[in-house]
Amino acid sequence: MSNFELLSEQGLRLDGRRPHELRCIKCKLGVFEQPDGSAYLEQGNTKVLAAVYGPHQAQSNKLDLNEVVINCQYSMATFSTAERKNRPRGDRKSQEITLYLRQALRAAIKTELYPRSQIDVYVEVLQADGANYAVALNAATLALVDAGICLKEYVVACTASLSKNNIPLTDVSHVEEMSGGPTLTVASLPTSNKIAFMEMSQRFHLDNLPAVMEQALNGCREIQAIMEKEVRKHLMQMGSAGDWSNIAK
Amino acid sequence: MTTNVNIRLAIDRVNMGLLAQNQTRAPRLYTPGEVVTGQFGFMKGHGTYVEGEDIKASVAGVMEQVNKLISIKPLKSRYVGEIGDVVVARITEVQQRRWKVDTNSRLDSVLLLSSVNLPGGELRRRGVEDEQMMRKYLQEGDLISAEVQNIFDEGTLSLYTRSLKYGKLSQGVLVKVFPSLVKRRKTHFHNLTCGASIILGNNGFIWISPTVNNEADGGDGGYAQNLNEVIPRADREVIARLRNCILALAHCKMMLYDTSILYAYEESMKYEVHELLQQEAIFDVAFLTQHRLRLQEE
Amino acid sequence: MQTIREFTRKTKRGNILKIVREHYLRDDLGCGAQICENCVQDETSVALLPERNVKSTLFTFPHYLVLDTNVVLNQIDVLEEDAISNVIVLSTVLSEVKHNSSAVYKRFREVVQHKPRGFYVFVNEHHKDTYVEREPGESANDRNDRAIRKATLWYDQHLEEAQNSRAMKKSGRPRTRVVMITDDVGNRERAEKDGILVASAEEYVKSLTDFPMLIDKYARKSFESDKKSLPIFPTHLSVNEIHDGIKAKKLLQGSFQASRENYLEGAVSVEGYEHPVLIQGREALNRAVDGDIVAIELLPQEEWTAPSEIVLEEGADEDPGDNVERTEKEQSVFQKSLTKSDEVRPTGKVVGIIRRKWRQYCGILQPSLLENASRHLFVPADRKIPRIRIETRQAEQLQNKRIIVAIDSWPRNSRYPHGHFVRSLGPLGDMNTENEVILLEHDVPHSKFSEEVLSFLPKMPWVITDEDYAKRVDLRDLYICSVDPPGCTDIDDALHCRELPNGRLEVGVHIADVSHFIRPGNALDKEAAARGTTVYLVGKRIDMVPELLSSNLCSLVGGVERFAFSCVWELDNEANILAKRFHKSVIKSKAAMTYEQAQIIIDDATQQTEIAKSLRHLNRLAKILKKRRMDNGALVLASPEIRFQVDSETHEPLEVEAKQVRETNSMVEEFMLLANCTVAEHICAEFPECAMLRRHPRPAPSNFEPLIKAASHQGFEIKTDTGLELASSLDACVKPDNVYFNTMIRILTTRCMMQAVYFISGTLQPEEFFHYGLATPIYTHFTSPIRRYSDIIVHRLLAASIGSDSTYADLLDKKLNEELCHNLNYRHKMAQYAGRASVALNTHLFFRGKTQDEEGYVLFVRKNALQVLIPKFGLEGTVYLNSLSGDKKPTPGDVIFTFNEEDYTQRCGNVVFHAFDPVTVRLSLDSRNVQHEKLVFQLVKPYIKGFSVELTAEQSGDVEMVDATTANAADGVPPQKKSKKSQKKKK
Repeated sequence: MSNFELLSEQGLRLDGRRPHELRCIKCKLGVFEQPDGSAYLEQGNTKVLAAVYGPHQAQSNKLDLNEVVINCQYSMATFSTAERKNRPRGDRKSQEITLYLRQALRAAIKTELYPRSQIDVYVEVLQADGANYAVALNAATLALVDAGICLKEYVVACTASLSKNNIPLTDVSHVEEMSGGPTLTVASLPTSNKIAFMEMSQRFHLDNLPAVMEQALNGCREIQAIMEKEVRKHLMQMGSAGDWSNIAK
Repeated sequence: MTTNVNIRLAIDRVNMGLLAQNQTRAPRLYTPGEVVTGQFGFMKGHGTYVEGEDIKASVAGVMEQVNKLISIKPLKSRYVGEIGDVVVARITEVQQRRWKVDTNSRLDSVLLLSSVNLPGGELRRRGVEDEQMMRKYLQEGDLISAEVQNIFDEGTLSLYTRSLKYGKLSQGVLVKVFPSLVKRRKTHFHNLTCGASIILGNNGFIWISPTVNNEADGGDGGYAQNLNEVIPRADREVIARLRNCILALAHCKMMLYDTSILYAYEESMKYEVHELLQQEAIFDVAFLTQHRLRLQEE
Repeated sequence: MQTIREFTRKTKRGNILKIVREHYLRDDLGCGAQICENCVQDETSVALLPERNVKSTLFTFPHYLVLDTNVVLNQIDVLEEDAISNVIVLSTVLSEVKHNSSAVYKRFREVVQHKPRGFYVFVNEHHKDTYVEREPGESANDRNDRAIRKATLWYDQHLEEAQNSRAMKKSGRPRTRVVMITDDVGNRERAEKDGILVASAEEYVKSLTDFPMLIDKYARKSFESDKKSLPIFPTHLSVNEIHDGIKAKKLLQGSFQASRENYLEGAVSVEGYEHPVLIQGREALNRAVDGDIVAIELLPQEEWTAPSEIVLEEGADEDPGDNVERTEKEQSVFQKSLTKSDEVRPTGKVVGIIRRKWRQYCGILQPSLLENASRHLFVPADRKIPRIRIETRQAEQLQNKRIIVAIDSWPRNSRYPHGHFVRSLGPLGDMNTENEVILLEHDVPHSKFSEEVLSFLPKMPWVITDEDYAKRVDLRDLYICSVDPPGCTDIDDALHCRELPNGRLEVGVHIADVSHFIRPGNALDKEAAARGTTVYLVGKRIDMVPELLSSNLCSLVGGVERFAFSCVWELDNEANILAKRFHKSVIKSKAAMTYEQAQIIIDDATQQTEIAKSLRHLNRLAKILKKRRMDNGALVLASPEIRFQVDSETHEPLEVEAKQVRETNSMVEEFMLLANCTVAEHICAEFPECAMLRRHPRPAPSNFEPLIKAASHQGFEIKTDTGLELASSLDACVKPDNVYFNTMIRILTTRCMMQAVYFISGTLQPEEFFHYGLATPIYTHFTSPIRRYSDIIVHRLLAASIGSDSTYADLLDKKLNEELCHNLNYRHKMAQYAGRASVALNTHLFFRGKTQDEEGYVLFVRKNALQVLIPKFGLEGTVYLNSLSGDKKPTPGDVIFTFNEEDYTQRCGNVVFHAFDPVTVRLSLDSRNVQHEKLVFQLVKPYIKGFSVELTAEQSGDVEMVDATTANAADGVPPQKKSKKSQKKKK
C-alpha cells in the first residue's frame, strides 16, 4: 500500500475535511410503502437503502421460542463501485458484513419481546465510497425505527482512521481506506456508551486505540444526533398529516 | 399496447411535507433510548423499558398514559391486535381444526374451526367430517373478514367469524395500508354512498367491494363466493377510484375512516381514475381532504 | 461549512472506472494575512506580516507573492534565500511540486515550514471562493494555472476589502497587493487580462535591489548566446516514446553511472544484464549525468566495444565553447578501444532521460580568462559530474572557494549543462571548508540542532530524583569502570566483574541509557533517527545527539551518577553463561580509563584494588570468549587504520601513525559482542516481527577469487566454504620471512566481504539472520546508543520487553522500521565513506610539501601497475609501470615491465615483483589539480635503473589514494570506535 499522507500539514484531509469532521449526511425514513420500515441514508458518497419486514411469524425451521430471529441481507448494487461488477448475492465480503450487521442489530433490538418472530433487514448499497458497513448499519437502524420495532436505543456505527502523525480521523472515505491507513469500525449504543461491534483493518499500536476509538465514538454520537433529528422530523410529518387523530384520545 | 410509465427523479417529487404544516397540536415525541420519566411511581407499558432508574422509550412515537401505565405508541408498526377489532385477513394454511391466517400482525393468527359458522347448522358439534371439509370452506388464499376473539400468551390472535357480518369475502379489491392509519370507529363496515362497500380492517387491510345487501346475503355463513357474477363497469370504476383515494390518503399518512375516504372520493372526481396515481393528484386530493376535515372539526 | 463537489474521472485499466470523489469546500480557511480582520484564523498560523514586506523596485507598495509551480520547481535556490518572504503558497502549487519533484518538494517544505520566512500555505483547492472546476477540454495544467490566477485574484480582492476599514485608510499606508510570479507567457497574458499584477521570476529577482547577488541563484533555462549555436546532441525521446520503446523492448532502462576516469564514458546498469551496458562518446552519452535514470538503445553487436582503460579528463583549462569537433585525444581513445575485442561488452547510447537525479554539487569555479565575464565554468569535485556553466557576478569573490552549484538544464546546443550558483562553502584548502565538502558529498546531515530539537533536552541542572532511583536498580556501589580510547568524551559503555558468594562471576555491561532522554516521536528523536549515526572525521565529530547528551548526561564519565541500561550475566570460570538479566540502573563509574591505562593496571601485579581484580577477571574471561568465538569460525579481519595527531589550532595533521591494538581493546570488544548477542536473542524472541537486528551475509564464492588466487601464488590454499575453514586457513597463512604477510591476506579477505546491514526480524527468515564475520546466528547493536540510532531502537525494544518502558506505535511498525533500517544502513555507509574521505584528506594535508620514503608491500600486481600498501600509514597507492601494450612502440631508454599472467608477477630485467613483496616507495603530493590532490607513489627500492625515483614525475604515473584504505566491511574488526582514535585533541 502507498504511504499516502492522509492529513495535510494544513490539517485537511484528502477531500478537504478536518480530522474530526463527518461527511455530509442525508437521510430519509419511510421511503417505501411495501416494507414495514425503510430508510435511505447517504453519508458522503456512500448511499444505502434499507428495508425492514416484520416482525412476522418466523419460518418454522428458524423459529426461536425465546427471542426474535434477525435475518439480514447486505448486498451491493452492480453499479455501486468504480468498476461495474456483477456481485452475486452472498459473496464472501457481503456475507461477512451481513453477519456483522446482525450482530450489531441484535444488540439494539429488544429481541425478547418478539418470541417466535422474525425480522428481515435488507440493505442495498447503491453507491460505495467507504465505511459501507457503518452506513449500512445506520440505515438499518433508521429502517427499524420506522418499522416501530422496539430498540434499546439507536445503534450507530462510525469509522475512524489514523494519520501518519497519529491524529485520529473520523468517518473514513473510500480514498482514505485505499490509501493504506488502518480503519477502525465501531458500532455503538451511544447513550449507554456500549459497543455493539468493533472491527479493524490493519494494525496500529495499542497506544493509539483509545484516541481512535474515542474519535469513532464521537462520530457515532454526531451521527446519532443527525439521525434523531431526521426521525423526529419524519414523525412530525406523519402525525401532522392525520392531525394526530390516531393518538388523540 | 403502450403503457404510460411515469418515472421521476427524487428531486422532482412532490413535497408531501406541506401537509404537515399548520400544525398546532404537535405532541411531545419520544425516540428509542430517550428517557420518558423516572421509574418511581410509574409502570412501564408497551414501547418502553426500564433501565436503571428510568423508563425509556424503545420506539419512536408519542406517549400514552393510563393512570400509572406509561407506554409509547409508535406511529407505524405491525398490527397489534385488540379483542374486538375487526380485521380483514388471508388464509395461509389449513391445519388440524384450525386455519392459519395472516393478519399483518407479529405472529400468524388462527381461526379455530370452532370459531366459524358452518353452513347448515348454527351451533353443532364439529365432527371429523367437518375437519375433512375444512378446505372446502376456506382454503389457502381466501380472504375473510373477522373479529379478534382472543389473544394468546405469546401474542397470537385468535379470530372468529361467528357473526353474519364476517366471513369469506367474494369479489372486491384489497388495499393494504399501515395499521395505524385506520382510525378506530364504532363500525368498520360501511356502505358508502358512492356505491361501494368497504371494510376497514384494524389491521390495515381494507376491503372494497360492490355494495352488498347484508340482509339478502345472510344465512349462508358467508362461504358463498359468487365469482361468476359480473360487476358492472360503473361499479368497478367506483371501486378503482376508492382504491386510489385510499392509497392517496395512505401515502400522505392521513387517517382512514368513512368520512375521510368519502371526502377524498368527492375531491377526486375532477381527476380520471388513473390520474390519481400521479403525485400531484395524490397531493391535491389529500390536501383538499385534509382541509375539509379540519373545517369540519372546527 | 461543507459543500460537495463531485467529479467523475475515467481511468483506463482494462475497464473503465467511474470515480466519484467528494470534495469539500470550506469557508473557514484563513488568508494568513495579519492585516485581514475578516478571516477567522488562529494566531500562530498567520504568516503574512507587514514587517516582512520585501522591497522591490518593480512593486513599490507592500505586496504578497503568489508563485506558480514552475517558479518553485526551477527557482528553489532563490526561494531558499531569506530575501523573499510574504509568500502565499497555494495548495495547487504545492501538490504540483510534490508530484513533479520530491526533492524540490522536500526543500520547499523546509522553506515553508520555517516560520520566520513568512510563507503561508493557502489551501485554495478547498476554499469555497477559489475552487476551480476543470472545464471540458481543459488540460490539467491549464486548469491549475486558472486556479492559481483565481486564487491570486481572490486574494487581491479579499485584501482590498480587508484594508477598506477606516483605520487603514486613515493610516495612509499604501495598499498591500498580491503579485503573481510566473514565467509562463500564456498564463501571464491571461493574468494581466484579469487585472492581476504579474512579474516573471527574473524580473522580480532583479528588482530586489537589496539583494543584488540573488540573481546568481536564478536558474536560467538557457543563456542568450546559446540560442544561436547549433545543436550538438541528438534530441531526447519524449516520455511516451520512451515508454513505448521500453514496452516494445527496443529500449532499455537503467541508472547511468559516469566513469570516474573517463569523462566520455559511462555505463548503465540494466536489469537482466550481467555487465552494465557501456556508453561511449559525447553523443552517445547525450547529456546523461551520473545517477540519472536513462533510456538507452543498444548498438548493433558489431559496434560493441570494450571499456577504455585510459584516464581521460576534461583537460581544457579554458572554456572551449560548444565546438563540436572532437579533440584529437578523444578520437584516439575510441580508436584504441575499438581494437580490443576480447573484452567487448554490450554498448549502447542514451536516447532519453527518464528521471534526472540532479542534486547540488560541490566544486570550484574555473578561472575565467576574460575579465568581468559573467559566464563561468564550474568544476565539480566529483569527477563523474560534467562541468557546469553558470552565470555569476561575484566570480572574483568566488575564486579559490569551494562553492555549490545546481544544474538547471542541459540544452541540446550546449556542451555543458547550465546551472546556477547556490552558495559558497569557504576558502579552498581550509579545513572547515574541506570538511564541509566531505559532509555534503556524503550527504551527512550536519547543520546545528534546531531550537525545537534542543527544546527536548533535559533542563539543566539535571538531577536524579527519588522516583528515578525507585525505578532503577542501584548499582552505584559496584566497581564499574569504562575503558575507551584516549580523549573519548562520549563514553557509552562501562563494565564490571565481581565474584559472587557461590563462586560464580558476575559480569555487567552498562550502556548509557540514551533512550531515557530521547523520547520516541519528538523532534529530538526524529533528528537522531534522520542522522542515524555520529560521524567521525579527523579532528571533528558530527554528533547524532546534541552535545549535552553525548558528552555529558549520557556519557558514563567516572565518579558521576549516570543512568545505564545494564546487561548482567552470571558466568562460571569457563565463561559459560549461567544466568542473564537486563535492567535499567543507576551507576557510578569508578574510573574512566584508556585502553593503555587499563592495560597497565592489568599487567601490574602489585595492584590489588577492586578495579584491578575486576579487570583481570574480565580480561581472562574475554580471552576464553574470544577463543570460543574463533573456534566457531569468527573471522579476524584486518584493515590498515591510521590515526592523526591533529594540531589543535589549525586542525592540520601533525603526525600519522597506524593505530595500536592492545589486549584491553579486545577485552572490551568481547564483552560488547557478548552483550549484543545476548540482547539480540532476547529482543528477537520477544518481538519476532519487529526486532532490529544486524546481519552479515555470506559473500558469494566468486568474491573470494582474488584472495584465493593471490594466496595460491604464494603457495597457500584458502578455503572459503565455511567461515570456520576460512578462519583456519587464514591462520595458516604465515610466512616467516614476511611478518606482514598474514595481515595483508586478512586485508584482502576484508575486501571480499559484504556489508553488514540492519534489518527487521520479521522481514527475513531466521536462517538469514546469520552474522558471517562474527559467526553468530543472531546479532544486533546495543552498546553504542550515543552514536548509533539503531542502538536506541534496540534499547527501546529491550526496555519494553522487560516492562521498564512502554512500546509505542512506530516501534512495532514493521514497515516504518524497515524504512528506518534503510536510512540507518545508508547513513552508516556514508559515515564510513566520509570518515575515509577525511582520512584521505588529512593524509594529503600531511604530505603537503613533504616527500618521504616509506617501506611498504605489494598488495596486488596488476597489468600495468603495482598496488602498494604502506602499513605505517595504512595507505594504499599505485605505482604505475610501463608495459608493452597497445600500439605503443617501445622506445629506447624506456624501462619495460613484463606482466606474467600465470603467477601475477611483473618483471623488469632481473627484478621480479610478486604480490606481498616488500618495497620502499617515495610519497609526495601532487597538487597541480587543486581539487584533486594526489599522493604520488614512486619506487625507491628495489632499484631499477631508469624507473626508480630519479625519473621524472610524468612517467612514474600518479596515484590517488584509494578509497578502500580503511575498507572495513564487517563488524568483525573492532566493531566500534575505529575512527574515534583519530580524535585526539590537544588541549
